[in-house]
Amino acid sequence: MTTNSHDQDPGENEVTGQPGTFLTRPFAGLGRKVVSWVNHMGAAAIFLGKACIMIFRPKQIPAIIQQIYYIGAKSITIIMLVGFFTGMVLGLQSYHALVKFGAQGALGTLVALSLVRELGPVLTAIMITARAGSAMTAEIGIQRISEQIDALDTMRIDPLKFLISPRIVAAIISFPLLTALFDLVGILGGYVSGVVLLGINAGTYFHRVQSSVEMKDVTDGFIKALVFAVIVTTVCCYQGYFTHMRTDSYGAKSVSLSTTSAVVLSCVLILVSDYIVTSFLI
Amino acid sequence: MKKYAMETAVGIFVVIGLLCAGYMTVKLGNVGFLGDDSYSLLARFTSVSGLRTGSPIQMLGIKIGRVNRLTMDQENQMAVVEFRINKGIMIYDDAIASIKTEGLIGDRYVSIDPGGSTDELLQPGGTITETESPTDIQELISKYAFGDVEK
Amino acid sequence: METPLIEFKDVTKRFGPRTILDKVNLKIYEGQVSTIIGKSGTGKSVLLKHIIGLLSPDEGSVLFRGNHIGSLKKSEWDAYRVQVSYMFQNNALFDSMTVYDNVALPLQQTMNLSKSEIERRVMARIEQTELSEAVYKYPSELSGGMQKRVALSRALVTDPAIVLFDEPTTGQDPIRKNAILAMIAEYQRKLGFTAILVSHEIPDVFFISNRILALYDGKIVFQGTPVELDELEHPFKDEVIQSLEGFQEELTGLYSQRHFKVRYQADLSRKRRDETYAIVLFSLEDLEAISNVLGHTTAQEIIKAMGAYIDKHFGAVGGFSTRHSINEFVTVLPYSDLDEAGRILEDFAKDFQDRGIRDIESVAQKETNSAECIDFTILAGLAQGKPFVEMESIIEFAKFRQEEIARFQCELRR
Repeated sequence: MTTNSHDQDPGENEVTGQPGTFLTRPFAGLGRKVVSWVNHMGAAAIFLGKACIMIFRPKQIPAIIQQIYYIGAKSITIIMLVGFFTGMVLGLQSYHALVKFGAQGALGTLVALSLVRELGPVLTAIMITARAGSAMTAEIGIQRISEQIDALDTMRIDPLKFLISPRIVAAIISFPLLTALFDLVGILGGYVSGVVLLGINAGTYFHRVQSSVEMKDVTDGFIKALVFAVIVTTVCCYQGYFTHMRTDSYGAKSVSLSTTSAVVLSCVLILVSDYIVTSFLI
Repeated sequence: MKKYAMETAVGIFVVIGLLCAGYMTVKLGNVGFLGDDSYSLLARFTSVSGLRTGSPIQMLGIKIGRVNRLTMDQENQMAVVEFRINKGIMIYDDAIASIKTEGLIGDRYVSIDPGGSTDELLQPGGTITETESPTDIQELISKYAFGDVEK
Repeated sequence: METPLIEFKDVTKRFGPRTILDKVNLKIYEGQVSTIIGKSGTGKSVLLKHIIGLLSPDEGSVLFRGNHIGSLKKSEWDAYRVQVSYMFQNNALFDSMTVYDNVALPLQQTMNLSKSEIERRVMARIEQTELSEAVYKYPSELSGGMQKRVALSRALVTDPAIVLFDEPTTGQDPIRKNAILAMIAEYQRKLGFTAILVSHEIPDVFFISNRILALYDGKIVFQGTPVELDELEHPFKDEVIQSLEGFQEELTGLYSQRHFKVRYQADLSRKRRDETYAIVLFSLEDLEAISNVLGHTTAQEIIKAMGAYIDKHFGAVGGFSTRHSINEFVTVLPYSDLDEAGRILEDFAKDFQDRGIRDIESVAQKETNSAECIDFTILAGLAQGKPFVEMESIIEFAKFRQEEIARFQCELRR
């Protein structure tokens, strides 16, 4: 097969055959890249759409609960840990910045707003990508290469319904909840570094936290969390589900590459979409 | 047994998550859900720069409410501020609302002097007529710094 | 002529520049075991995947009971798919689920059954496939043979009418291989489904197949019974069958049927017209009962031991043997007439009853630790052959004259 495709690959001959192709080649490559990206975007959107339709099929609840367990419940510790230290470092850094203006009283405002608006949703999403997203890709990828997904097909079980839909629902439930947890633990972390360690007035801190955060900030944070939930699950499941379509590798190697690209792509898309969503919401 | 433990864990997770989300919306987002225990008053200022929704309202240095909405009355070229004042706080119709700054560069807040030389209380939806717009620090500083030059 | 259950009409499938299936025409009939043979990588699995709709043809059509499956209505398609099960080459078990959940999955997800009904059906299948002790284990904790059995019970749990087996025996040792094939044959008889196998265990699979389909170079070059395949004149036969069929049969170590025939012809050609020789036909009775009580693996062990014993005894006097069918052996004694052969057989029978049975017994005991036991008998029949008489008819005659030469009884064991 390899020899066959080698013989018939027109690109091979073009390079040597025509002068000047070395100039046009990068553009052709770029064009192909763009086309393939657009293809993937379309495929991922269709994939998401189909999986969303399948959410409302019967017998989904147990699967969803199981996925909430893996995506949500098992992430509590790591989210609390990361949230706490994020809050602490935020408190520490902002204190030293604010104290120059004698405005250390505004520490609560700074910590709370940065957590609720930005850091909470973004860092939560990135942490879940690392914990649950990579696991999703690897698990689905292995199921793909060991023909388990084909086996589902032969048993008339829709693989999207069975594997993807519960994960999407579970992520949509888990992301906002974990984000809320992250925010609160982060504010507590800010309290520990600002009040306990650096000696700001506790009342001022909490007063500032309470008075500065608006309902709009809270809902914006949740909207972001929901957007990230959909992006992360779609990217991770898509990469795993189409592991076998990779042209750069086969078998276990392709699962590892899919997992890597799922995590990288998820993180990039989280930050890009964060900017887009923020500019819409402001 | 194993299944039971998983469902319990999921249950605990959802409860904790909902509590956090609830705390954030109610306490931080300032959304009262157990009935509204405040009434609204209006005030017109020539400028409300620095004031924003949620800014506190103080009387005698005690917080009695918050700014609910900022709108504009273009006919009279005035900014209209809607306050939510806690129930039970009495404000008379000769009250003075002034926008002040906490510290030198702190947040803006509204301070209300309740008045009381007349006996007429402001009803919900009433308007505080006497207002003081914030002192513009920049203006103040430039007056101080370049005052002589302008003369 | 009856309508085939499944029919391929000019089915062509290409993957990129490669044509995998090139105008394939084939017919598969209801209630039979049909085996697709061919070299590896020639599209046997691709062919199978067309039947279940995992792939659809680029050209041509697949017919189910005369209806084009591509143009079935959704409800008809569902009704068709309910009847079809697929057993994957590498089992494709869900490795994060227990054996029970694996087998139960198709029932839980696609049918509206009560929990107790699902449990009843699943446990019934698990017991039938001798997996009772592994119900709550995970696939990775099981041996390869047990994993195969899990895959088999998962394929059969929905009571399908058509079961597709994609190389069910690949990677198994000879005994397991034959045990799996025997198991497929047994369930096929018991449940009456239509079995379609892909395999390249050439001699072994012939014992259980009603029809053989040979795929060569993207085309079906032969379809017919295993006997008809013997008469095929085609490069396929030289290239594929001879390369796959070993000199010896894997399970018993005896001559493969073809080499047996070659040897037979060679020996016979050296004989004068009036010289005679003898043929003995041995059979192990009640194979199915043995399989049921002691398990398929033990049954295959017994066949193997029996073959080895026959070879040892008759090989010493110049005889040569082959496995004739799943439970029958044929031995040719080229230098003996009927009387001498009778004496040899008598010796053998005595020896076998005294010692051979004990060997087999120890095999059976080793495999089954339980106190389960079953009686079985071994028959032998003797016939005189003449150079110009067809071997088949001599074997028929030997079969007619079979009588019991050894018996294994449970009481004797105790």
